[in-house]
Amino acid sequence: MANQGNKGFFTRLQNVDRRVLFVLIFASVIVPLFFPLKLPVPVTPETREFFEAVEAIPDSSIVMLPFDFWPSTLAETEPMAVVGLRHLFRKNCYVVGLSNVGMGGPSIADRLLDSIGGEFGKTYGIDYVNLGYKANYQAVMLGMGERIEDIFPTDHRGTPLSEIPLMRRVPNYDSVSFIFVVSDNVAVDYWVGLVNSRFGVPMGAGVTAVMAPKSLSFVQANQLVGLMGGMKGCAEYENLLGYPARATRGMDSQSIIHLLIVLFIVMGNVGYFAAKRKAKVEG
Amino acid sequence: MKTRIPVAVAFLSGFLMIVAFFGSGEWLSMLTNEALRYMTIVAGFSLLLGVVSITQVSWGVVRKRGEDWPYKIILLIALAAMTGFGVLQGITGGTVFEWLFDKIQKPMMATMFSVLAFYIASAAYRAFRARTVEASILLVTAIIVMIGRVPMGQYIYEDLPSVANWIMMFPNVAVQRGIIIGAALGAASMSLRIILGIERTYMGRG
Repeated sequence: MANQGNKGFFTRLQNVDRRVLFVLIFASVIVPLFFPLKLPVPVTPETREFFEAVEAIPDSSIVMLPFDFWPSTLAETEPMAVVGLRHLFRKNCYVVGLSNVGMGGPSIADRLLDSIGGEFGKTYGIDYVNLGYKANYQAVMLGMGERIEDIFPTDHRGTPLSEIPLMRRVPNYDSVSFIFVVSDNVAVDYWVGLVNSRFGVPMGAGVTAVMAPKSLSFVQANQLVGLMGGMKGCAEYENLLGYPARATRGMDSQSIIHLLIVLFIVMGNVGYFAAKRKAKVEG
Repeated sequence: MKTRIPVAVAFLSGFLMIVAFFGSGEWLSMLTNEALRYMTIVAGFSLLLGVVSITQVSWGVVRKRGEDWPYKIILLIALAAMTGFGVLQGITGGTVFEWLFDKIQKPMMATMFSVLAFYIASAAYRAFRARTVEASILLVTAIIVMIGRVPMGQYIYEDLPSVANWIMMFPNVAVQRGIIIGAALGAASMSLRIILGIERTYMGRG
């Protein structure tokens, strides 16, 4: 540190102690949660299209909602599944949940379906069901196009599908009006490539922010009706639905963190160019 | 025989899937569905194989007191606990498995992922320098998108969200589509090589 004191201002600008940055990041996440700025969330076209497509599904339709995400991305993906379920249950849609992620997917699905289903007075087996997990998602997605019961003989709770009233009405994708994918991995590509292209089921997706740039190409090709990209996309959807919740609360933190990172990047570059110029002048 | 049977199985499975994708008919549908059921069963066994493999490797390290052996003990205990409670009591709500998952595994995974934010910020600050024209374009684009995609963006400049959306929908999608098409062509050619028995590295030999 003493050595650093001798360095020029511009060199120091490039070498701020990372612990300082960590503390600032931490504060940027925490402080806005206690003192929200309540910034309005502008809506992107792809989220609006997604919302409008779900809104256009006839009430009481059967909708599939794959919970294709790992527990590690819950901060981003759980609010997406929650807002999707609220929208679908508000329209009295019947929800068939499943997961292509073995570790955690089915239990997260169970918890969210029960909790949001409970908010709307829905009953397991009649209004919604959780099929659980089966390995090899390509085979699962294709197999459900022929006969869901062949792939999932029982639901997540071990009840045979033939004994579940809702599933008696859903032999395969022919009965499904829409697929509301929530994913943090490549599964969304397979939903598009295998299910939308082959069986023609309309679908939209909520994906993590790092996946959004790739998934936007499916939106432009009309393979996805719309997209919720990351927490921001979810906040937009929450506001369109009129249920501002966790994602909306996270927007202030995200705004400040993005600004902070940009500030540090600019600072680093100013220091880099100024130090370079100074070195050149000094010969 | 060791090679011929797997190659024949790969050929028949691949051929069946291609025919099923483009064709139709009751017998074909029945055959495909049966094949897909087999695929999920085989995938289930491959998970089991993974569990056996990690147990063998970890146990070997513990016995020889190899590198990080105490962590391997924790791994084996966790594996045994989750498997044991899962098999004995089930994995639905209210079980010990569910409790372990909710209270231990889920927070740990979320924590690991959250820590990334700190490292990404630090790495961006240290490594993101406009050293070349390409790096400068990337830098400017990244800043526009980072600011334009958060609510604060429109306060800084009203049209910033529109510019960020344009970048995402056009230059970004054009590049992404190129990558997707390239990867799909690569996957298709690799699949053909496997189906025709040219590519045999999946059997552990060339």
